[in-house]
Amino acid sequence: MSLQLQISNLSKTYANGVQALKDVSLTIPTGMFGLLGPNGAGKSTLMRTIATLQEPDSGSITLGSIDVVRQKDDVRRILGYLPQEFGVYPKMSAEAMLSHFAVLKGLHDAKTRKEVVDALLHQTNLWEVRKLNLGGYSGGMRQRFGIAQALIGDPKLIIVDEPTAGLDPGERNRFHNLLAEIGENIIVILSTHIVEDVSDLCSQMAIISHGRVLLTGDPGKTIEAMKGRIWKKTIAKSELANCQETLAVISTRLVAGKTVVHVLSDSDPGDGFAEVDPDLEDVYFSTLSRAGEIAA
Amino acid sequence: MFAEIFKFELKFQLRQPIVWISMAIFCILTFFAITTDTVTIGGSIGAVNRNAPYVIVQILSIMSIIGVFVTTAFVANVVNRDFELNTHSLFFSTPMRRRDYLGGRFLGALAVAFLIFVPVAGSIWLGSLMPWLEPERIGPFMAAPYLYSLLFMVLPNLFFMSAVFFSLAALTRSVMYTYVGVVSFFVLYGVSQSMMADLDNQTIAALADPFGMAAFELTTKYWTVFERNGLTPGIFGPILVNRILWTVIGALIVLFTIRAFKFTAAPQGKAPKKKAEKGSDEMVTHIGTDSLAHLEASRSFGAGAQLRQYLRQASIELSSTLKSAPFIVLVLIGVLNIVGNSLALNQMFDTSIWPVTSAMIQVISGSFFLYVFIILVFFGGELVWKERQLKLNEVFDALPVPNWVIWASKMTALAAALFSLQAVAMLTSIVFQLSKGYSNIEAPVYLSGLFFDAGIAFLLMAVLSFFFQVLGSNKYLGFLLMTIFFISLIALRRIGLEHVLYRYAQVPSNPWSDMNGYGHFMQGMIAGYAYWTAIAAILMVVVHLFWVRGTESALGVRATLARRRLTRGPVSVLVVAGAIAAALGGWIFYNTNVVNKYVTQNALEEGQAEFEKKYKQYEGLAQPRVVAVNADVDLFPAERDANVRGSYVMKNKTSAPIGELHLWLNPLVKGRTITVPDATVRMADRKNGYTIYRLGKPLQPGETMTVTFDLAIRNDGFTNNRGVTNFVENGTFFNNYEWFPYVGYQSGSELVDTNKRRKYGLQPIQRMPKLGDPKWLGTNYLGSQSDWLTFETTVSTSADQIAIAPGYLQREWTGNGRRYFHYKMDSPILGFWSYLSARYTVKRDRWNDVAIEVYYHEPHAFNVDRMIESVKKSLDYYTKNFGPYQHKQVRIIEFPGYERFAQSFPNTIPYSEAIGFVARIEKPEDIDYVFYVTAHEVAHQWWAHQVIGAQMQGATVLSETLSQYSALMVMEKEYGKETMKRFLKFELESYLRGRGSELVAEMPLELVENQGYIHYRKGSLVMYALRDYMGEEALNRALAKFVNDHKFAEPPYPTSRDLLEYIRAEASPELQPVITDLFEKITIYENKATSAKATKRADGKWVVTVEVEAGKYYATSGGKEEPVKIGDLVDIGVLGPDPKDKVHGAPILYLEKKRIDQPKMKFEAVVDSEPAKAGIDPLNKLIDRNPEDNLKAVEKK
Repeated sequence: MSLQLQISNLSKTYANGVQALKDVSLTIPTGMFGLLGPNGAGKSTLMRTIATLQEPDSGSITLGSIDVVRQKDDVRRILGYLPQEFGVYPKMSAEAMLSHFAVLKGLHDAKTRKEVVDALLHQTNLWEVRKLNLGGYSGGMRQRFGIAQALIGDPKLIIVDEPTAGLDPGERNRFHNLLAEIGENIIVILSTHIVEDVSDLCSQMAIISHGRVLLTGDPGKTIEAMKGRIWKKTIAKSELANCQETLAVISTRLVAGKTVVHVLSDSDPGDGFAEVDPDLEDVYFSTLSRAGEIAA
Repeated sequence: MFAEIFKFELKFQLRQPIVWISMAIFCILTFFAITTDTVTIGGSIGAVNRNAPYVIVQILSIMSIIGVFVTTAFVANVVNRDFELNTHSLFFSTPMRRRDYLGGRFLGALAVAFLIFVPVAGSIWLGSLMPWLEPERIGPFMAAPYLYSLLFMVLPNLFFMSAVFFSLAALTRSVMYTYVGVVSFFVLYGVSQSMMADLDNQTIAALADPFGMAAFELTTKYWTVFERNGLTPGIFGPILVNRILWTVIGALIVLFTIRAFKFTAAPQGKAPKKKAEKGSDEMVTHIGTDSLAHLEASRSFGAGAQLRQYLRQASIELSSTLKSAPFIVLVLIGVLNIVGNSLALNQMFDTSIWPVTSAMIQVISGSFFLYVFIILVFFGGELVWKERQLKLNEVFDALPVPNWVIWASKMTALAAALFSLQAVAMLTSIVFQLSKGYSNIEAPVYLSGLFFDAGIAFLLMAVLSFFFQVLGSNKYLGFLLMTIFFISLIALRRIGLEHVLYRYAQVPSNPWSDMNGYGHFMQGMIAGYAYWTAIAAILMVVVHLFWVRGTESALGVRATLARRRLTRGPVSVLVVAGAIAAALGGWIFYNTNVVNKYVTQNALEEGQAEFEKKYKQYEGLAQPRVVAVNADVDLFPAERDANVRGSYVMKNKTSAPIGELHLWLNPLVKGRTITVPDATVRMADRKNGYTIYRLGKPLQPGETMTVTFDLAIRNDGFTNNRGVTNFVENGTFFNNYEWFPYVGYQSGSELVDTNKRRKYGLQPIQRMPKLGDPKWLGTNYLGSQSDWLTFETTVSTSADQIAIAPGYLQREWTGNGRRYFHYKMDSPILGFWSYLSARYTVKRDRWNDVAIEVYYHEPHAFNVDRMIESVKKSLDYYTKNFGPYQHKQVRIIEFPGYERFAQSFPNTIPYSEAIGFVARIEKPEDIDYVFYVTAHEVAHQWWAHQVIGAQMQGATVLSETLSQYSALMVMEKEYGKETMKRFLKFELESYLRGRGSELVAEMPLELVENQGYIHYRKGSLVMYALRDYMGEEALNRALAKFVNDHKFAEPPYPTSRDLLEYIRAEASPELQPVITDLFEKITIYENKATSAKATKRADGKWVVTVEVEAGKYYATSGGKEEPVKIGDLVDIGVLGPDPKDKVHGAPILYLEKKRIDQPKMKFEAVVDSEPAKAGIDPLNKLIDRNPEDNLKAVEKK
C-alpha cells in the first residue's frame, strides 16, 4: 500500500504577525515531491510542520492514518529530516554520532546498528573520515553527514529542506542520484528555490509563495500546458520598461550582456518575439508573476 | 580619530539597556543599604552614622567590586562585539590605528562604567535625607568621602579590572573565557586574601589587594565610632601605594594588549583549523534501499528501548559536560580553593586544628559550594539549550524519542556532574587529611555531609535551574532568575520570611556535631528534603510539559502543547507528587508550628522587647533569696525529654516583710507544677513565663519558705530554626538559668543594639548599674536570686551515658535500665549549676589530693592530656599565689559544638567540642590555646566561684580579667615570654578592633559593662603591663589578700574599685597614676622610634643613641581621642638580631623604664653585643595602635 501525505487547510501566523501559511492544502503521494518557491514563501514552515517541529494554527496533516499534529511520535518513527541548516556535536566523530542517532531512532541491537551505520557511511562516502570529529568537517562533508542521519532507520517520509545549498555541482549531482534512488518507494519532499532541482528529480511538485499554494501537479504536465504561450526576444536594456508596460513579462535574463525577456501570451505578441519551448522555469515565473497580478 | 572612537563608544554604550539597568540596580541597592537594615553592604552598626564617611567609602568600594561583573560585560563587549556581529572585517579594513580603535573603545567603556557610579554615590546622599531615618544616626553632609571614594577607590578599581578583562577578552576573543577569567580572578583573590589574613603580612596584603580594600581595612581597622563618623582616610601610606601600584599595572596591561592585538578575524594564537577533506568525492551511486529494508524489524520503541535511549543520551551529555573547558576550569579552581582554605584551617590565634572530617566539610562548603552552584546554573542553561546552540535542534527534535528521554537525560547528566563534583571535593579533602597525618576518614560523615545534605540541595537547585531555563525560554533570563533565587534565600530571611516551607530547597536547621552527628535534626532534614523533592517533581512535570521541542518558543503555542502533553503519566505524577508534598508540608508545618513554636528573628526580638517593657519595673524588687537547692533530674536523651523535680529553700534576707514572689519559668517548659505554699496567683503570663504569687502570709525578715516544682521539658518533633540544643541524643548540656525557675526579673535577655531598641520604642540600654550604686551592692554578678546556696541533686540518664552536675558523686546505681548519679556539694556555691549527659570516655588523673577528670567524646582524644597538664599547672600556680582550691575535684566535660565556649561551674567545666578538643598544637610558634582556655576556666574557680563582684560596672574585671591574668601567668611559666608576646599581639588586635564594633560605648576597664573585648582582651594587656610595673609578687600579694578578705562573702559584694584599692596598696606611689591610666581611663599611646644609631667602643661594647617620640591620649567612650601630657615610665630598649626560628624573640640587650615627659626625647644605652633594633616600649606592653614603629633598625657607625 503506498503512503500518502494529506495536508488540508493548513494556516500559520507567527507571533510577529507574519502569516507564513494561508490555507494550504496539498496531497503528496509516494515519490519525489518538489516544493518550489522563493525565499520566505513559507516552504520551511510547511516542512517543519510536517516534521513535527511546529504547530499549525489550523488545518490538519495526515500521513496515511497518522494525524501528524497529534501523533508526533508515530511520525518521528518513520521520518527522516534534513533541515536547511543544522549543527553537530563538534567533539564527536561521524561514526559515533550516527550510531547515537541510530539508538535514538530505535536501533538497539548493536550488530544491526553497526551494519546500518557502516552502510550509510559508505553510501554517503564518509567512510574514510568516519573517525574524525564532526567539528572539523567541511560544508560538503557535513551536508553528506546530514543526509546519512536522515536515512537512518529506513524512513517512509523524508523531508529535505534546501539540501543542495553549499554543495558544489558534482556533489549536488550525486546527492540527486541518491535521492532519486530512495524516492522510488517512499515520500520524499524536497524543498528548494532552484527550479532545476525539481525538474530533474520530481514527479510531483507544488509552487508556493506568500504562504499560498499557487500550483500543484506533474512538472511535465504543467510545462505541457504552457506550450505555445511563452515568447522570447532579445532587447536593449532601454526597451525593457516599455516592454514590461505593454506585455506580461515573466522573466528577464542577461545573456552575453543582452537582455532576454520571456513573456506570457496566448497569441504571438509580434514585434520580433519568437515562440519558445517552455521549461519549468517559465512555469514557475509565470505562476509567480500571475500571483503578483492577483495580489496587485 | 581617537576622540571620535571614544565618543562613538560612549554613545554606543549609553544606548545599551544593561548600562541603565545596572545603574538602577546599584542605586537601589545602595539606597537601601543606607536607609534600611535589611540590605547591608559593609555598612554601619551601633553608633556609627548611616552616612559616616567610613561607611560611604566602604559601600562605594564594595559596590565597585560588585560592579566588576558589569564592567566585564562592557569591556568584553568592546572587543568581542565586532566578532559577534561579524563587523570586524568592516572595521579592520579601515585605516584605523590599533591604538585608536582599542584605546578609544576601552576608555569609552571605562567612562561609562564610571558614570554608573556617580548616581550611586548620589543615592547615598539622597538616602541620608530620607525622613524616616533616626536623626541621631545621620551626620552632616561632607563632600570629601564621596570624592575620595569615587576618584580614589572606584575609578582605580574599575580601571584595573577593566584592563584585566579587556586584555582577556581581546586575547581570547571569547565572552565565556572572559567570564571564567572573572570567576577565577575572584577565587584567587579570595584565597590570597584569606592566606594573607595572618597578622604579620598585613602590609603585604594591603598592597596585594587590587581593590584597595585590604589597604583601607589596614588604615581604618582600629577606628573608633568617633573616627568612623568624622574622618575620611587620607591619601598616603599603604592606600596611596596600593592605588598607584595597581593603576600602573592596569596601564601596562592595556598597553600590552593594544600591542599584542591583531587586526585579524581569527582568534589570537590559534590558526584556523584546516582539515583536509579526506575520502574520494565519489558517492556510491547504487545504494538500494532494499539493502536496509530487512533492518526495519530490529527497531523498537518500547519502554526498554526508551530506557536505553535515555541512558545513552545521558552518558553523552555527561561526558560533554565533564570535558568542557569551563567545567574543568571551575573544578580546578574549586579544588585549589579547598586546598587553600584547608591550609588555613584554624580556629583561634592562628593555630591549626586537626582536619577532622566535619571540619573539612565546613571547609568544602565554604570554599567549593559556590563553584558547584555556578556550575549548576551555568550548565543548567548549557544543557537545556545545547542542541539549539549547536543548531542541531531541528534534527534532534524530529527523532523518535519521547520528550522525557531528552530532558531526563540532561537532568541526569547534570546530577551526575554534581555528584562527581562532590566526589572530587571529597577526594581532595581525603588526600589533604592523609597528607596531614590524619587517617580517621569518617566515610559516613562525608556521605551525609556532601552527598546527602549538600548533594540533595544541589539536585533540587539543578531542577530549579532547568525549570527557569525552560519556562523562561532564554538562557540569560534563566541565569538571572537563578541569581535572584540565590539572593532571595538570604533576603527572605532578612525580611522575616524564615520558614522552610516556602524557601525552596531549604530544610530545617541541621547543624552537625561530631558528638551528636545530625542527631534529632535528621528527622526535619529528611522531611524537608523529601518535601522539596516532591515539589521538584512537580517542577519537572512542568519542565516536561513546556519543554521546547521543535521550533516553537512562543509561550501561547507552548501552553497549547503543554495541554496536549498533559496525558495520564504527567497527571498522575502531578497528583502523587502534589499529594506527597501536601502531606509532608503538613507534617513539617505540624512539627514546626503546632508541636513547636515557629519564631522568627523579628518575633524573638519583639518578645525580648515586650518582656523588658512589661517586667523591667520589677528589676531589683526585694525578693527572698534561694539558700538551698535540691533537684531530681531525669534525662531521656533519646527522646530529648527531661523531668525536673526539685525545691528551693528561700529566705527573706531583707529587713522588711515580702508579700509577693515573682517567678520566671522558660515558656518552652511543657508541664509545670510550681507549689508556693499558702499563696495565690496574682498574675500569670504564660507567654512570657512570668508569674506573680501573693503570699498568704508575708515572709518575715529571716524567715524561710520552700517552693517546690515539677517540670516536664519536652522537645518533640523538629523546629524550623535550630530550636533547643540543650537536650540532644548525645550531649545534653543545660544550666539553671534556662530551665529552672528563676526568682525575679532577668536582664540578660534585653536587646543591646541601640538601633533595635529604638525600633521597639526602648531607650538606649543601661547595661549595668553604675559602679558603687548602693542599691546593687547586695546583688552579685550572677544574679539576684541567690547568694551562696547548698546544692544537692540526683540525675538519671540512659544506661549508656554518664550524667554530671556540680558536687561530688555520692552514689551511682542502675535501675529500670537507667543510670542514676547522686551529687552533693560540700560547701556553698553560687546560684549557677548545670547538667550534662553523654556517652563519655573518661580520663582520670590527680594533682595532690585533687582528682582531675576529663569526660570526652572518644575520637576527640587529641588534647586531653594537654588539658590535664594545664589543670595541674593552674592548680599549682593559683594555690600558691591566690589561696587554696575550695573543691577536691576538677572535671572538664565536652559538649556538642552547637555553642562555642567553655564555662566554669563549681568543680565542673563544660568545654565545647568546637574549641580546643580538635586543636592541633605542633609547630613551635603555635599558641596552645587549649592550655590557655583550660587555665582560664580553672582560674574561675577562684575568680567568680570564690570572689564574685557586685552586679554593676566593673563586675567582670573580678571574674574575667583576673582569670585572664591568672591564665597568662600559667601560660608564661609553661611557654615563656616570647609566646606571651605573640599571644598579646592577638589580644591587642582584638581589643583595638573591638572598639570599632562597639554598639553602645567603650568603657574604661574599671567600669566595663560585660564587654568581651574589654574585660578579656584589654584586661590581658592591662594586667600584663601592671605585672610588669609592679612585679608579679606584689601584684599576687594584692590579689591573695583580696581573695582572702572576700571569698564566699555574703553581701555586700566587692567591686572593681575594691580590687583597685588592694592593688594600689601594694604599688609604689609613682605607679599610682599608671594604675589610673590602666583602669580608670581609656589610654592610648602613640610611641615611635625616629632614629637609632650605634658606635662601637674600643672595649668592644656598643653605645646606642635612640631618639623617640611619645604621645598619649585619653579616649572618650565614643572613641574621640584627646592628647594629654605624658609623664609616664616607659621601656627604652635595645634588641639584638632576630633569631632564625619563629619562636624566640630577639634577645633583649637593654631594657629600662625611663620617665618620658617630653614629646621628643633622646636616650643613650651601652650594650655588650652588636645591637639590631632600638626604640621605645619594644615589647609592646602599652596600648599602641602602631606597635611596629616602636623599634627602629640601628644604624651602625
